[in-house]
Amino acid sequence: MESPEGKPIIYTMENKPIATCAGDQNVFTALYQTLARELPREPMEWRRSYGRPPKMIHLEANFVQFKEELLPSEGNKALLTFPFLHIYWTDCCDTEVYKSSVKDDITKWQNILKNYNTVDWLIVLVDSDAKKKNKTNILPRTSIVDKIRSDFCNKQSDRCVVLSDPLKESSRSQESWNAFLNKLRTLLLMSFTKNLGKFEDDMRTLREKRTEPGWSFCEYFMVQEELAFVFEMLQQYEDALVQYDELDALFTQYVVNFGAGDGAKWLKSFCQPVRSWNGLILRKPIDMEKRDLIQKNGASLLDLRSYLFSRQCTLLIFLQRPWEVTQRALELLHNCVQELRLLEVSVPLGALDCWVFLSCLEVLQRIEGCCDRAQLESNSSHTVGLWTYATEKLKSLGYLCGLASENGPNSEDLNRTVDLLAGLGEERPETASSLQSPYKILKEALSSVETFEKHYLQQSCAAMEMYKTIGRLRSARLIGKSLAEFYMRKGDPQKAETFLQDALKIYLAEGWALPVTHTRKQLAECQKQLGQTENYLQTSSLLASDVNLTEEERKHFCQEILNFANCQDDNQVQKIILGMSTFAQLKELHFEPSSAVVHVGGILNIELSLFSHMPVAVLLENIVASVHFSIEKSNFRKATEWQGKQRKVSLGSNGIIHFQSDPPIGSPCQSNMPSLELYEMYDKSPSDNSLNSTGVICKNVHLLLRRQESVSSIEMPSAISVEDGAQSLRANNTLLQPGLNKIVFSTQAKDPGLYTLRQLVATVGRVQFVLPHIYPIVQYEIYSQEPNLKVEPLNDNLLAGIAQRVKFTLFTGHYTIRNGDALQLSNADSLIILCSAKYVATILANTGEKIKDSTLMVQSSEKVTSITLPLASAYHIVEFELEVMCHIPSSIPKSESERLTNGELYRKTKERHNPELCMVSLDQKISIDCPWSIYSTIIALTFYIPFKVKHSLLSAGKRKYIQVCLQNMSDVSFNLSDPQLKEIMKYPNVNLISMNQENQQQIFSKQNVFYLWELKWSKELPSCLQCQLSVMFSPSSDEDEPNSLKPYTHDFIMENIYTLYTIKAEIYPSLGSEHCRTGCLCSLEVSIMRIAELLETDRDEALTESDGLCTTKLMYEVVDNSSNWAVCGKSSGVISMPVAARAIHKVHMEVMPLFAGNLPFPTVRIFKYLPHHSIHMAQPDTDSLIENDTLSIDKSLDEQADSSSIRSRTSTHSASSEHKGLPMPRLQPFSIGQVFNSSAGMQVLVVPSKDDHVLEVNVT
Amino acid sequence: MAVCIAVIAKENYPLYIRSIPAENKLKFHYMVHTSLDVVEEKISTVGKALVDQRELYLGLLYPTEDYKVYGYVTNSKVKFVIVVDSSNTALRDNEIRSMFRKLHNSYTDVMCNPFYNPGDTIQSKSFDTMVSGMMLQAC
Amino acid sequence: MADEALFHFLHNELIHYAYKSAEQGEVENGRCITRLENMGFRVGQGLIERFTKDTARFKDELDVMKFICKDFWTSVFKKQIDNLRTNHQGIYVLQDNKFRLLTQMSAGKQYLEHAPRYLAFTCGMVRGGLSNLGVKSIVTAEVSVMPACKFQVMIQKM
Repeated sequence: MESPEGKPIIYTMENKPIATCAGDQNVFTALYQTLARELPREPMEWRRSYGRPPKMIHLEANFVQFKEELLPSEGNKALLTFPFLHIYWTDCCDTEVYKSSVKDDITKWQNILKNYNTVDWLIVLVDSDAKKKNKTNILPRTSIVDKIRSDFCNKQSDRCVVLSDPLKESSRSQESWNAFLNKLRTLLLMSFTKNLGKFEDDMRTLREKRTEPGWSFCEYFMVQEELAFVFEMLQQYEDALVQYDELDALFTQYVVNFGAGDGAKWLKSFCQPVRSWNGLILRKPIDMEKRDLIQKNGASLLDLRSYLFSRQCTLLIFLQRPWEVTQRALELLHNCVQELRLLEVSVPLGALDCWVFLSCLEVLQRIEGCCDRAQLESNSSHTVGLWTYATEKLKSLGYLCGLASENGPNSEDLNRTVDLLAGLGEERPETASSLQSPYKILKEALSSVETFEKHYLQQSCAAMEMYKTIGRLRSARLIGKSLAEFYMRKGDPQKAETFLQDALKIYLAEGWALPVTHTRKQLAECQKQLGQTENYLQTSSLLASDVNLTEEERKHFCQEILNFANCQDDNQVQKIILGMSTFAQLKELHFEPSSAVVHVGGILNIELSLFSHMPVAVLLENIVASVHFSIEKSNFRKATEWQGKQRKVSLGSNGIIHFQSDPPIGSPCQSNMPSLELYEMYDKSPSDNSLNSTGVICKNVHLLLRRQESVSSIEMPSAISVEDGAQSLRANNTLLQPGLNKIVFSTQAKDPGLYTLRQLVATVGRVQFVLPHIYPIVQYEIYSQEPNLKVEPLNDNLLAGIAQRVKFTLFTGHYTIRNGDALQLSNADSLIILCSAKYVATILANTGEKIKDSTLMVQSSEKVTSITLPLASAYHIVEFELEVMCHIPSSIPKSESERLTNGELYRKTKERHNPELCMVSLDQKISIDCPWSIYSTIIALTFYIPFKVKHSLLSAGKRKYIQVCLQNMSDVSFNLSDPQLKEIMKYPNVNLISMNQENQQQIFSKQNVFYLWELKWSKELPSCLQCQLSVMFSPSSDEDEPNSLKPYTHDFIMENIYTLYTIKAEIYPSLGSEHCRTGCLCSLEVSIMRIAELLETDRDEALTESDGLCTTKLMYEVVDNSSNWAVCGKSSGVISMPVAARAIHKVHMEVMPLFAGNLPFPTVRIFKYLPHHSIHMAQPDTDSLIENDTLSIDKSLDEQADSSSIRSRTSTHSASSEHKGLPMPRLQPFSIGQVFNSSAGMQVLVVPSKDDHVLEVNVT
Repeated sequence: MAVCIAVIAKENYPLYIRSIPAENKLKFHYMVHTSLDVVEEKISTVGKALVDQRELYLGLLYPTEDYKVYGYVTNSKVKFVIVVDSSNTALRDNEIRSMFRKLHNSYTDVMCNPFYNPGDTIQSKSFDTMVSGMMLQAC
Repeated sequence: MADEALFHFLHNELIHYAYKSAEQGEVENGRCITRLENMGFRVGQGLIERFTKDTARFKDELDVMKFICKDFWTSVFKKQIDNLRTNHQGIYVLQDNKFRLLTQMSAGKQYLEHAPRYLAFTCGMVRGGLSNLGVKSIVTAEVSVMPACKFQVMIQKM
């Protein structure tokens, strides 16, 4: 058992709570081993004060011999040396011995304890049978115990325990051991609770005093740390840590308050200037020097912090929480820097950097010390912070000491370095052994430029790697950037570039404008030093157009480009090619003419709107748009197609194409996704197509579901090539002002075809800005066109016979109309062009806008009409209207016949189906000789004859009249004047007397006008008359004199005009009655009278001559179509008529009226009867017929007659046609004028008869 | 209170970033951009995290010597970053939280503003004034 | 969400307007569906921003979908999605047996042919909401017997 030294032992791992042993040392010694072994075996629950959670703890104790000095004097705050329990050992079993010695000894011991009013004591009575053996007078064991209890432990009898046969292996001894150990533990814990509680109370009261003047943090610190120690001793690291954290918080609070204004006096001691900055020390469990400093109020802020942290660190490591260490460390370091600032502690330049650097490394190494690789790897996210911090600090140190400059440190730098190193002091023994101690590293790093670089790189790379491994790319890039800066300082742009590029990429990708700008600036510098002219210029142009830069900076970079561009250099040959997008942006493009379609030789203007991003005006030597030319199929189109037509490209109206601007780096990754196309879905069932279901579906899923590729950087693609198209548009020496500029390309169209704009190249000296692709596609078209002539009527139907306007449209195409050019129209005599001075030609451009009017010369000779054209250049339109008139031919042959007349006039009827309603049309062909071609153009025009004529012959006995009906078929109404009917043959004795009242007459559309003439003749009348109607006409619309027009004429022929026979019919009532009655037979007398002598017309088979007397056979027939009459007996018959004037033949027959009232006569007709020539010509029949024609008994004829009479109702006079087998005679009608029926239209009154039944019969 | 307040889009480009004093704008841009590393780290671990740890407030992203950078992410993956001066030790965590809440509310209003086109940089005056309000409390 | 009735009337007018203007040739026909969907998209974006303001961060895709089916649907349509199914390959089917926007229209096949236009907006709203939550998707819909309605969400893997 160890004896306690005089001065309090400071905490070591072996430290245990102290218990003192009084009484019989030998007894104790005998049991010590077992005791020490058994005590910690079973955990004990420790109930805590202040509602802290109970804990199970394994108790140990450090048993020391009892001495009075051990007992703490009043106010002694030491806890570690505090004896928590006092035990008195005895194995006395003899009353005498007890009375004589033991009792007094215990009493004395008790008294000492009482003086120090400790109540934590225990009396152990060990009784062993072995001892009893040699005893004579044995009292029962209990008696001694009772005595002791009664003597000492009044009312707390449990303060005396019996340990029986401790060295025996018996159940009894076991029990007593357990009982004893339990007691011991309980008492120890009680003591802890009591004393620690008391201690804590004191501590609190002390803390409460902190506002009082003269309160010292350091004192308090020591007190609370004591507590921490105890907890640690009891392996309550958690609690221990809490103590330190409380101290930490308390201190921090003070500093904050100080910052807020009320500074505690004691804080002053911490504000002493920093003299040493040899980082944290975490290698030993407790840093005594610093502790002493604190105890002696000699600690600086850094000392205190370092000490606090070292303790926290140790405890945390006990608690297996290394990563908390790193995290706390970082906070601590930042915090310290802040606090020093706050307390305005004077710190030598760079001192802090050293301190931080060392501390970081120290922490890191400490952690490495207590974890294996794998753990470190997986937790680099915790350590990387420290790494970077260290790196930063090292960097700033390097810069401070001029180690990061091209030409090493100067003397001043060196002095500073020396001072800094001095501040580090001597290396500590505990790190002295390790080669990589922070101390050594720093010393070495600061020793020379090379070593600094080496270490700085190591650090940086290490940090970068860590960041990369844990996927913190941005942080890695940032370090990379600072590395780059370092390299630039070192004048090593080569190395810098890649880092800068990497950084730039990520900033661009994520669209961080300011970092982009800044990094670009650095990159530009770097590229300049590297002499990467092209890249440099590209970057410069980017920067020159960068709105985040100041005007000056932008001007500078722009100037850089211009300087390079304009510097005269021997190798002028190759030009530097840069992307245009940064330099200027094509906003829109405007075609003139807007159709973007030009005829060969025409002028095409393309106006570019170019937005210059440059801060100053730039003079472009030239700006060239390369053009791709392709012969377009179907290129030679009809000019008509071009009228105001657009190119099919994305030409907006008025020929402007807009180009969308590429997104600014504000928002790089706007979705380049196709927008989804949704449609309504209707799912019909196949059977009956009723809707199964409907819905919304997406048509382009496949496109959308494709993973979209990562955002492409906005950097210029490296290779831009200027393609030299054979064709190109160019504008020279244009000054490009900042902002919007308008540049006009003007070109004369040459070869017809399709032209596509490809590239835009702006040249400034040796620099070319290239827009590699112009999108959307810009195209214009050049066409060439043949001259051609178009003639069309103004109104849909051209009317013949009157003047009509016809429009001539002449597309000059590539032909230019020269002076004296004329159109030669070869005249058709039926179609004339009316010459007049007032013809005007209009000249238009191809696009349709009017250019000018000019009068038109039209001369007509009998052969040709020539139209002198006004001067018009190529690709123009000449329009004029001419008045033409198509004569109406006097005689219109049969409609069907379509034969050409030499006057190139032919006719055909359109719309055969109803020739009544439609006009007869005449197709007129004009052949025109145009100046531009040797062939003559043939143009067809269709005219319509507005009129139609019907004529008819009317007779009154022998007198004859001709009626003519004129129909106006057209939609126009006309004025008709002096109608005339001429007899063409000019028979001397024939003349026509007009019976028409007025000479002037108007005829409206679709109306008829009737004319009447009487035909008079003296001697014999010709069998055939040729007449011609002629009527003057003019459209009633125009007032001007119609005499210019020819009259409308119509020819017609009339034959057999002369009357041969007159027929007279009469009906007499039956005898005795003065009226015809229905149902009663009446007699019908038909008298046929020959009027003329033998005439030409009689010459036919019917005529028979016998001894100078000629007769002709006629057949008469009585027909009643209206079935008013029933003809009884023969209704028809053949008679032979003497061919002599005044010869009369009467026929009688019976007719019966079927109705009452005024009944029209039955119709009586006569035909020529042409008998057939046969061998047995029925001569006798005819004779007999001739004899008694009133009643014939001829069988055959009888039948025939009957049949006919019966059939009379159905009124067919072709009875003979039904003659079976018999050779039949022919009937020939007379032409209309030859027979005059004088009783036509006569009526006779019929009165109803009395007896109805007859009527009845007859009706049926 | 804050020296820099930033709103960062889903795609990690800045929708809004404002800092005082104006001169070291650039520094803050770098700082905020770098802080995205930690934000992403914290978001990515969300899967494992328990519900209560899935709050929108991400806490201190990382401290530097001079500044503390706090993060917050909306469910729409829009990040808010607030940078405060380290010397401003008085600042408590819940104050930061409340700042973020205000920010989020205000941002929501912006989102629901018909004149705001999602994904564009924030121009809203009211948002701006709200932000400057939070910045001014510092001095 | 505003008063239900208001929303419904507005929604109806929206559709009416869209199709009217289509007839008048302002937009080529058939695109109105897309047009409506896009309107919905913007609305969804805004809504989700509000609705998720106070919720915890989402654990995963499924978590998001659940939110749409529960909270989102409830806030907009005053009821939850009745059934959510997924193939765990990024396809989710949201079944609403009594879809609010169809309930007044018909219970059965009547007007079935007009149903699609009344779903487009909602499709957009869902897509907008999801996309704002960082889930790019395509949302389609199907009705066979009103007012029941299926929405299918196809997630675009990023």
